[in-house]
This record gives sequence, structure tokens and C-alpha cells, in this order.
Amino acid sequence: MSNPPALPLLKARDLHKTYRMGGQPLHVLRGVDLTVAGGEWLAVLGASGSGKSTLLHLLGGLDRPEEGDVAYHGENIFDYGNGKLDRYRNTQVGFVFQFYHLLPEFTALENVVMAAQISSSLLSWPGRRKAARQRAGELLASLGLGDRLRHRPNKLSGGERQRVAIARALINQPALLLADEPTGNLDADTGRQILEVFAGLHRQGQTIVMVTHDERIAAAADRRLRLEKGRLALGAASGVN
Amino acid sequence: MYKLLIILRYLRRKLTPMFAVLAVTLCTAMVIIVISIMGGFLENMRHAAQTLEGDVIIQGDMTGFPHYQELITQIEKMPKVKAAAATINSYGLLNLEDGLHTVEIMGIDPEAMDKVVGFRQTLFWTPEKIRESLDRHAPPADASDIAKRNYQLQREFLEKLNLADMAMKLQAPPEWSPRPRNDSEQPDATREVKPAPAIVPGIHVGGSNIRDEKGQYDFHNNRTISSAATLTVVPVTKSGGLLEPAARKLIVVNEFKSGLYAIDANRVYVPLGLLQEMLRMDAHADVDPETGATTGKMNPGRVTGIVVKGVPGTDVNALRDGIYQQVKTFVSSHPDTLIYRVETWEEKHSTFLGAVLKEKFLVTILFSFISIVAIVMIAVIFYMIVLEKTRDIGILRAIGASWPGIMSIFLGYGLAVGIVGAGLGFALAAAIVKNINAIQDFLTRFFGLTIWNPEVYYFDQIPSQMNPVEVTVILIVAVIASVLGAIVPAILAARMNPVEALRYE
Repeated sequence: MSNPPALPLLKARDLHKTYRMGGQPLHVLRGVDLTVAGGEWLAVLGASGSGKSTLLHLLGGLDRPEEGDVAYHGENIFDYGNGKLDRYRNTQVGFVFQFYHLLPEFTALENVVMAAQISSSLLSWPGRRKAARQRAGELLASLGLGDRLRHRPNKLSGGERQRVAIARALINQPALLLADEPTGNLDADTGRQILEVFAGLHRQGQTIVMVTHDERIAAAADRRLRLEKGRLALGAASGVN
Repeated sequence: MYKLLIILRYLRRKLTPMFAVLAVTLCTAMVIIVISIMGGFLENMRHAAQTLEGDVIIQGDMTGFPHYQELITQIEKMPKVKAAAATINSYGLLNLEDGLHTVEIMGIDPEAMDKVVGFRQTLFWTPEKIRESLDRHAPPADASDIAKRNYQLQREFLEKLNLADMAMKLQAPPEWSPRPRNDSEQPDATREVKPAPAIVPGIHVGGSNIRDEKGQYDFHNNRTISSAATLTVVPVTKSGGLLEPAARKLIVVNEFKSGLYAIDANRVYVPLGLLQEMLRMDAHADVDPETGATTGKMNPGRVTGIVVKGVPGTDVNALRDGIYQQVKTFVSSHPDTLIYRVETWEEKHSTFLGAVLKEKFLVTILFSFISIVAIVMIAVIFYMIVLEKTRDIGILRAIGASWPGIMSIFLGYGLAVGIVGAGLGFALAAAIVKNINAIQDFLTRFFGLTIWNPEVYYFDQIPSQMNPVEVTVILIVAVIASVLGAIVPAILAARMNPVEALRYE
């Protein structure tokens, strides 16, 4: 008797998404199917405007498709109620954006802790506060920002900001890290350093989906797919699911 | 928890919310100041009216009612009554040094009246007031010795005078009283000078008292005190017919100031007995109108009203009802006592007090409309804040914040702006209300601006009184208004598409 096949971590099926640009519909995703296995590092390549970010937003539950679904551990996230979808984004997914998207009024440490704070109520937070701050401090230190905890984003370099954003994405120990052009706004050296951070996380078993237009960056991933004309095509290495 | 942190941080680190706070502060302060001044004005009016009339007034017609002493004795036995005094209200002509004036005459027994309305306190020229006035006009250091000596003599003389005591007796001192005349109408030095009856006019009866720009009166300008004034009245019969006018020369011994300009410019106080006599309301032998012969009966003295003061803390309406019952019983046993009204001081002055009350209400409504402008301003400022924070909203949604969470951040922000603004507004209003007269003096002295002209308004000082209940309501409304102003921007923020918010430039 054989074991039933293990469920993939994330499975997107027939995703369609249309935007309106200047009154004209722009069909960005035209039936995207994608499977992400636990622990893998997947890169989605595509030209600017190909819908990479849109795909990532759909996988992360930040946007809704017109058609199709995204199954997380076998459950369609778009069947979730608003509260559950918010919790999915907060605890199961971590976003890393090209432009870092840190809150300018808060320090590096506070930006990281914020993601942990969102899932806590006014009453439960005092009990969690110390542990959350400690974990945030450790994460930032492990990313080489131990001496930058109390700096606001405008006092940090691009690479430092992106590392703060990575720490924020990881604070709630999400199953899936979604990175949107994480090196796109950085110089080559700093981009490489960020990529090393991702490689390190991957070695520790972190599942990563990264979208990029840069073949060299995508080369670091286990598997590469190409988004063309609204559909996923085979990339350099692995196959389409 | 994150919402509170964000609210506090946004509030502390941005200039824009400071404008919203400023809008709430100014609006709150403005409404509190206006309400306090109007309230103070009303309260001063009420106080003035109460010091003139007591709590309850028993009113007869112009010909008066008899047996008043008996009625007063009965009323004073009532547990809630502190004191009662008989009065006569009439009208007449007063010939003062500066001309003839129509006046409202009130005949009183000053001691009895003092127990009811604090008559002594309304007397204007006290030794302190005279001293203050003289101090303001002391001759300069380089004045001539004669001027200084004259001033000193005048001062010594005036300081010895006790005008308040004279007014409490309504009797002029012998040295001011006219000397009796002999048969050839010449002053007779051999006859004893009897103290003449006195009169106490309101401070604005006649034109001798002029307020300076600070609202003060100067005694050295006063040409009325110690002068003789002729009072003329026309007695009326019960059937409404007029009798021979009666005129008496009276000496002005003091002036009173109630604070109500209409009273201070028209009323004069004279001894009750004298007015009874002049109006033929004193006790007199009954005359048969047919024969003109006396009937052997005595008609008792009459008055036109009785003023009553309740014990402190008495409900005046309950007191009025009690007195009404007492009067009703009294009238049934004394059919010749015609009393047509028992009313509280507030009822008697309801037209005037009602006007001020309505004015206060109107001003409150007007300022409420201005506050609506403040709400719109807050809405606009908050909309700007939401636009400014659009990307933050996207970030927070991306890391798991819910739309109600985003909405509550902006509503909480509105609440915080409201609380801080209302608090600062209260502090500002309290500081201004407390020092409003000092502020006005400052403006007058340095910029020549007179906001409150004491020559025009009823009171020397800008009246103000912060009512804790009104202030609390204003503060609560200010906070609610801020939250209302934040509602639309908060909804817009909550409904924002997180992906578009993240892309917002």
C-alpha cells in the first residue's frame, strides 16, 4: 500500500486577472497554474508589466482574481472570510517588496515587531511583547542589523532597509516568503548580499517564491518559470505544473 | 494594539494633525468663551434682579392694600421665609440740580429692605469708594501748597461722612437739612434744624455720574450728594381719580447701583412713611364722601407690594406657591386687601431675562454652525492625512492588518485629535475667561481697542462664568465632532485596495 501523495504547500489554478488601463481592459493573467512545494525556492521570471507582481499579490491573498483559486494546504484562500484572509497574510505569508515598504515613522525594530503586533489584541500583547521584541532583535542581528535597531528607515541604506523588510516578513515564521523584485532597487553588490540572505533562508527550509526580471537573480532559485502573455511557461530548469 | 501605537506616533510626528488639533482647540475655546460670557451676563442680570426684588413679590395695584404689617408678620412666620418688607412703587418727577427727571419711586424701610435684598450692599458711595476716587485724583507732587491743603481738607471732610449710614436711615444730617423759615420766609436761626428726609437715587438718575473708560465713577465729579431734590407725586384714588400733586424737598444722601442700567437710571428710594403720606396712603380718618365729615373710623396705611426673601437654598417656585396660599387665606379674611399677583423675581423680569436667555441660545446655535465648519475642516485635513498615509495603509494591509483595523486607526486618530484639541481648547478658554478683563485692559491700553464698553453695557466688567455642565457638554461635542470629521476619511482608508495603496506615489 503506497502513501497518498503529499499536498503541495500552495497550488494556484487557472488564475485570471484583468486591470483597466485608460478605459481598456488589460488581461494580465490568463489562466496561471502553479504549484509550490514546501521548502522549494521558485523564481518567476518576466518582463516589466508581465503580471509577476499581480501573481505574487494573488498568492499572498492581497488581491483577488476574477477566476481561479489559490489552495493553501488544500484550502482555497479566496473562500476565507476577511478575518481569516488577513490572518493568512499575517501569519502564513511574508512579503518582501522591491521598494521595501517600511513605515517611515517607526524604527527598524518597531517595523519588524509591527507584524507580530497586528495579530495580538490589546490584552494579549503585553504577554507577547517581550518575546516578539526579542525575536525581532535576533532576526535583525542575524541579518547584520544588530546596531541599527533604533534607526528609522530614512537613516538606513537600501540594502539595510531590504533586510529590515525581510526580518519583518519572517517575524511570524511564515510558511511562505513572497519576494517581489527584492534586489530590483539595489546595486549589484547589495543585491548579491540580499540574495545570499535568501539562499541562507532556503537552506534552513524556508519556502520562497520570488519574482524578478533578472535572469541572474533567478538563477539562484531551485526552479524557474517564465510569465509570458499572461501564462506561465517553462523557465531554464524545471517544468510547469 | 498596533493601532494605538500608530495613532500616537502619527499624532506626534506630523504637522498636518496639528492643524486639525488647532481647529478643534480654537472652536472649543471660542464656544466656551462665548457661552461663559453670555452665561456670566445672564447670571449677573439674575443676581441684580434678585438683589432688587428679593425672591417673591406680592403685588397690589397702585392704590395699595392695607393690613400689610399683619400679612408680613404671617409670612415671616412661614418656615422657608427669611424676611419680608413692605414697599410702595409709584412714579413721579424729580427735580435734581441738572433738571427734571421722570422717576420710578420706591418707598422703603431701609432696615427691613436690607434684610430682604441686601439694600446696604447696593449703596454706591462707601468710604472705600470715596477714598479710591480721591486717590485717583490726588494733586501731583509739584502742585501748589494751597491745592494740596484743599485736597487734604476735602479728604478729611469726606472721610468723616458716612453716606451709607445716612442712606440706611434715609435721613439727611442736620447740617445738610434746610433751616426752618420764619413767617417772612427767611431762615430762622433760632429754631432747631430737624433732619430732612433723604432720597437715594440710582447712580444714573440725572447726569452727574459718568463712567470713565475703566468703568469707574469719580466722586469729585458728583454734584448730586448733599443737594436738595424736589420730588413730586400725584396721588390716585381707588376709583382712579387724581388728587392734588404733592411735592417734597429731599436731600440726596447716597446713590445706589444695582448693576441693571434700566433700574439705576430710573429708580429712587425714599422713606416708606414719607411716600405713604405724599400718596395719601398713610393711616387716616375715614371721611364720608357725601357729607365730608369724618366717620370716626380709621383707614389703615397702605403699601403697593411686599418683597420676600426665602432662606438660602429655598426653591423660589415652591416658596411662591406657599406664599400664594398664605395670601389667599389672608385675603379671604380681609376682603379690603386687594392683591392681584404673587410672583417670583424671575417671573417679574421674565421678558428681560428671557431675551438674554434667547440671545445665549441663538449665539450657541450660531457657533454650532461654525463648529460644523470645523468638522468639515477636520474631514479635509483627515482626508489629506489618509492620502499622505496611503502607502502605509497598503503596507499594513500587506502584513495582515484588517480593514476594520485600518478604519479604527483613523477613527482613533480623530478621537485623539478631538481629546487633545478639546483639552487645549478648554485650557485656552479657561485662561482667557479668567483674565478677560485684564486682556481687555491690555488691548485698551496698548492698541486703544475697547471690546467691552462699560459706558454702553450694563456691567463695568466683562461678566464671565464657566458652567461645569456646559463646558463638559462642549468638550464632549468637540470630541464627537472630531470623530465625525474622521469618519469619511476613515471609511475611504479602510476601503482602499491594498495593491493600489502600495503602488501609490
